[in-house]
Amino acid sequence: MKKMTLILSLALAATATGCSNVEHSRDVANPAVSGKVLAQQVCSMCHGVTGNSVNPTFPKLAGQQKDYLTDQLKFFRKHNRSDPAGSEYMWGISRHLTNDQIAQLADYYAAQTRIPDPSVNPSLEELGKQIFTHGVNDGARTVPACETCHGTDAHGRGSFPFIAGQHEDYILKQLNIFKETEERDEKLGQMMKNETHDLSSEEMKAAAAYIATMP
Amino acid sequence: MKLEMNSSNIFINSRRGLAAMLLAGGALASWQASATPIFARQTGENCLACHAGGQFPELTPYGRLFKLTGFTLGKRTPVPLAVMAVFGSTTNGPALAPAASSPGHTASDGTPTIYTGSLFFGGKITDNIGMLGQYTWGNYNGANSDAIGGGSDNTDIRYANRIFRNGNDIIYGMSLNNNPGVEDVWNSSQTWGYGVVPGSAGSPAGYTILDGGLAAQAVGIDAYLYWNQTYYAAVGAYRTGNGVFSFLTQNNGGQTYLANTSPYLRLAYTHEWGPQNIEVGYTLFDADVYEGSDSLGNSYTNSGPYDEHRDNAIDVQYQYLLDPHTITAEFSRINEVINPSGANPNNYNASLGGQGVVNETKAKVSYTYEARYGAALGYYNFSSNEAYGNTYWQNSQAASAPDYFGPGTVTAFVPELFYIPLQNVRIGLQYTMYTQIPTQNAFNQNFTGSNSNGQAWHASDFNQTFLYVWAAY
Repeated sequence: MKKMTLILSLALAATATGCSNVEHSRDVANPAVSGKVLAQQVCSMCHGVTGNSVNPTFPKLAGQQKDYLTDQLKFFRKHNRSDPAGSEYMWGISRHLTNDQIAQLADYYAAQTRIPDPSVNPSLEELGKQIFTHGVNDGARTVPACETCHGTDAHGRGSFPFIAGQHEDYILKQLNIFKETEERDEKLGQMMKNETHDLSSEEMKAAAAYIATMP
Repeated sequence: MKLEMNSSNIFINSRRGLAAMLLAGGALASWQASATPIFARQTGENCLACHAGGQFPELTPYGRLFKLTGFTLGKRTPVPLAVMAVFGSTTNGPALAPAASSPGHTASDGTPTIYTGSLFFGGKITDNIGMLGQYTWGNYNGANSDAIGGGSDNTDIRYANRIFRNGNDIIYGMSLNNNPGVEDVWNSSQTWGYGVVPGSAGSPAGYTILDGGLAAQAVGIDAYLYWNQTYYAAVGAYRTGNGVFSFLTQNNGGQTYLANTSPYLRLAYTHEWGPQNIEVGYTLFDADVYEGSDSLGNSYTNSGPYDEHRDNAIDVQYQYLLDPHTITAEFSRINEVINPSGANPNNYNASLGGQGVVNETKAKVSYTYEARYGAALGYYNFSSNEAYGNTYWQNSQAASAPDYFGPGTVTAFVPELFYIPLQNVRIGLQYTMYTQIPTQNAFNQNFTGSNSNGQAWHASDFNQTFLYVWAAY
């Protein structure tokens, strides 16, 4: 018993040493912790170590455009993006990030390789491909093709996000948020509201299904 | 979470009580949404980030990682305190009717009651050290008993680190805690799992040493490793929580003494795909507990004969987590073999001797919609197939029904509906429905007590309904 008490006491004493460990820190309010360390130690818990999240609640960040990531993190920090998952998870995590850390986080994820989802519903994805590449032009509706802004490979450009290979459920939820709410930032939000205004639920689901499989 | 009551039956017989609770719920609903406990303040995140569907204490994969990394994610809070309370109304069935001598002053006649209150303290301390401490105050320990005061509750002090090397993601650490099972992040034991609304009968104290038998009685340290978020292993050792560690065990109704250092082993395999994740685990715990004479089965001696309690447990958990749906399904089975070291003159069943075998099966499925509306169904079955047995049928709240030890089986279903108006408030209605109770005690005497018709109690006479408001701030 005495031996165990001694071991426990020594263990406690040992653990009490070394208060700061910036190379392995999960402190989101310490400017000395690099964006790479934060990505690995904090963000990875939801988004995956390489930015390829498993649960569709959390978007894949691998390969994401630096400008888009930077914008979104700053929106979260300023509470300019208030979709439910965004506010519930990201407002707190981003509240103390410095601009340097945000830039480093954007660099980290932009350098990762995105892993797309496998095809599960070819016929639905084919409809989605039509919308992605040609939009909708049926006389009554004119919806621009997704590729117009996101690129033919859906890898995005600048503030237009890399959406290829993103989780279908995440894309669909975001499309609905754009369509139904004002919870996304004003600039992108207005553009996407125009895009989604005339899209049916089925068409949005098809587009999301196709985009999720794009490499 | 240790202050549970094992009784049965409730009928909502107090309109005044119901009105008071609804008013309380309305008052709570006016709280600011930012009113959240330590870890939510530390991370700035909503409770549902760590708790599946917002129902505490069930954890999401993220919540597990948060705990495994030593509660160190986030920003150290200037006031590392939080409080929790359960306010409710319990009405027992006829077998557990409270004594007429104390109307309006019991925990089981429908009187609105503050059951328990807890003070949490801790959170992030350094980049590698964090803790969760809990001190719990209990109002009633039974239908007619007085306030039982406060005592140490689940405490978990951790050192953890996470490294990435050659494609491997390695989380390792140590946990100093006061109950085998506190360390576990899959809520596999009584400590955190299976309908743990404090004050309810929906989470009866386990009859095995692994399932609450040493809650806030022992102290131990576990070393653990989680590799690539797939394989988990923890190895630990527990001893009596006295001496320098007595702060972890004080005021919990007497000290249980362990005769030797007790080894603990926990292994688990986990896999996550899409919105789903699964865990399959195994736990071994082997404790030599000094025998005692306390009527509740506690051992207060630190010498003489002792019993070896060897627990082997398996558990499985499945989750589906994708807004608006959250499903958690849990199952655990504990097999305990009890070998007495020698004759025990104080033991209630000393004359029977021999080896005891106890089996516990627990299962629960819960569902929440939009992290707001929820339903759950729990099941438990305890049995002892040996005369030495520890099937412990605690009726301490009953005026007429005695505690019961001996061979037999207890089976119950626990349906529950709940509503989460705010992330830190839960209002629920829980029904504990017994379908099987023991009929004889260890001395082959018939279980005493009878209903108003002079018939022996039926299992359903012990049923209990529990209406509660569970809030944390």
